[in-house]
Amino acid sequence: MTSNNFLIQLNNFTYQYPHTANNALKSINLSLKKGSFVGFAGPTGAGKTTLIKSINGIVPHFEGGTFSGEVLLNGKAADTMSTAEIGRSVGTVLDDPEAQIICLDVEQELVFGMENYGVPPAEMEQRMQKALASVGIAHLLGRSTASLSGGQKQRLAIAAALAMLPEVLVLDEPTSELDPLGSEEVFRVLKQLHQEQGMTILVTEQKTDLLARYCDQLVILREGEMVLSGTPREVFQHQDIFELGVALPEVTELARRYYPQAEPPITLDEGVQFCRNVILSFGG
Amino acid sequence: MNPVIKINGLSFGYEFGDSVLKDIYLEISPGEMVALVGQNGAGKTTLVKHLIGLLRPPAGKVSVADLDVANTRISKLSRQVGYVFQNPDHQIFHDTVQAEVAFGLNNLGLPREEVEPRVTAALSDVGLEHLAHENPQRLSRGQRQRVALASVLALRTPVIVLDEPTTGQDYQERKQIMALVEQLNKAGHTIVFITHDMSLVAHYASRVVVLCQGRIILDGDTREVFRQTDKLAESLLLPPQVTVLANQLNEPLNTSVSPVILSVDEMQDYLQRVREVKRNGTGD
Ligand SMILES: Nc1ncnc2c1ncn2[C@@H]1O[C@H](COP(=O)(O)OP(=O)(O)O)[C@@H](O)[C@H]1O
Ligand SMILES: Nc1ncnc2c1ncn2[C@@H]1O[C@H](COP(=O)(O)OP(=O)(O)O)[C@@H](O)[C@H]1O
Ligand SMILES: [Mg+2]
Ligand SMILES: [Mg+2]
Repeated sequence: MTSNNFLIQLNNFTYQYPHTANNALKSINLSLKKGSFVGFAGPTGAGKTTLIKSINGIVPHFEGGTFSGEVLLNGKAADTMSTAEIGRSVGTVLDDPEAQIICLDVEQELVFGMENYGVPPAEMEQRMQKALASVGIAHLLGRSTASLSGGQKQRLAIAAALAMLPEVLVLDEPTSELDPLGSEEVFRVLKQLHQEQGMTILVTEQKTDLLARYCDQLVILREGEMVLSGTPREVFQHQDIFELGVALPEVTELARRYYPQAEPPITLDEGVQFCRNVILSFGG
Repeated sequence: MNPVIKINGLSFGYEFGDSVLKDIYLEISPGEMVALVGQNGAGKTTLVKHLIGLLRPPAGKVSVADLDVANTRISKLSRQVGYVFQNPDHQIFHDTVQAEVAFGLNNLGLPREEVEPRVTAALSDVGLEHLAHENPQRLSRGQRQRVALASVLALRTPVIVLDEPTTGQDYQERKQIMALVEQLNKAGHTIVFITHDMSLVAHYASRVVVLCQGRIILDGDTREVFRQTDKLAESLLLPPQVTVLANQLNEPLNTSVSPVILSVDEMQDYLQRVREVKRNGTGD
């Protein structure tokens, strides 16, 4: 361990993909302690996926390109670590489950990752059951991966990452194919991992209403820059939020029309309370 | 007006599987804009595949534009109904974006001088003109989704079916895509779209069909469907956040039925009316 106790640190990290004209990430500074639950939002092309890939080593190990600054994992520079070494602490769920899932059936998909990282065979069965159960797909164990729906594939990808017992879980839009209940369930699983195992979670998501309710910290990216960071409430209160191309929870948007400067409600319950207060203020 | 889509007692199950669609009756008139909603696995994709002959309905059960889907060749049917797949990779086969979009137009036998401007217009509609010469496989999932969308919109079929067209799109892109679809609807096209985003449903659909475990459990005017919170809960769906908010406030106005609020704008108007009622005891 180094002197600081940050699990993940990006210091002035700038990155450019090969054969491109612009930096995909620009001077990112982000320090996260163990046990953080951070959401990332921002329009397409903002750099969310690239940021996730910089933490799990895909950038620059597989993508190539050029970078300056540094990404530190437990104080160690990620570019000096092998991807296998990074993979032991960082579990990844990519935004395209079609591309991530490579095995023919569900069981193989989980075993494949564990074998690659040298998990003792005696442990595999139990890890597999636990990982599948925690995302609610224990019943799919014998299924062929081709027969799974998009939503089921997303859950499988999460289970495969969990089976590695990572210290950090990074997820890129893990609910894009899921219905509202399924999306909520994924975030409940994340919250449970966060609370019970102290797992550090970094997740990109378009449904800001989920980020508002589950994350401790929300980061907004735009054109490769970190433009806002804070608690979800702080971020949604910021005067620039409307220009950044992210959807606010509807209760938040409503409240900001009445009191643009005040701390807005960010959940339904808070929204109900807010409206009651507004109605009280009408007198009558 | 004669319905353009007629489904008359359709039931269906995949080989070796349970029944997926159960006794579906559905009529859609020309010019309607219908949202088809339901949980993952409810049967939405299976249902719409019967409209385009990808799944073969029994004779006489499904007709589109007076063609019996059971005995109409797909090439003939595809002049009447265009379908954007849920998974763009099931429909993208060419190695440039431009060729992909041109393919369907060429198939229709359109002359070259007509194909080119249509391709250009469709790509610009979905914001991809700068990627016309790219290989679709090099694009992001969200971009591939828009390639698929462009290639169907270019055909300008009277009926357009979109299976989760906004998956992987950011807030602005979702609005752009739906604005485009709305424009086509205003120009007379019949639209059926599948989505999990209830705010999009509230904003754009005039009618909502709710599918739950293969049955239609609700079908009606958007506002009326979102009034049925219990029925929706049964299929594990929630109306938009503002709709639930207004519902929970349950603020009595001088009206017999509480209004169903579909947007933040409507919520603001509603609070304004509550204010008027409180201030001078009137309201309508
Ligand atoms: N493999 C790649 N090669 C070249 N450029 C890329 C690649 N992946 C992403 N980019 C570019 O990097 C920028 C950030 O993209 P990305 O991280 O995917 O954003 P987001 O996930 O927020 O949509 C965009 O300009 C995008 O075009
Ligand atoms: N090609 C297929 N073979 C067997 N079962 C399928 C196939 N496609 C879908 N199913 C099953 O049919 C049911 C409905 O699926 P689908 O129509 O894709 O639902 P939705 O689009 O509402 O998510 C699900 O249980 C799914 O697993
Ligand atoms: Mg991304
Ligand atoms: Mg579907």
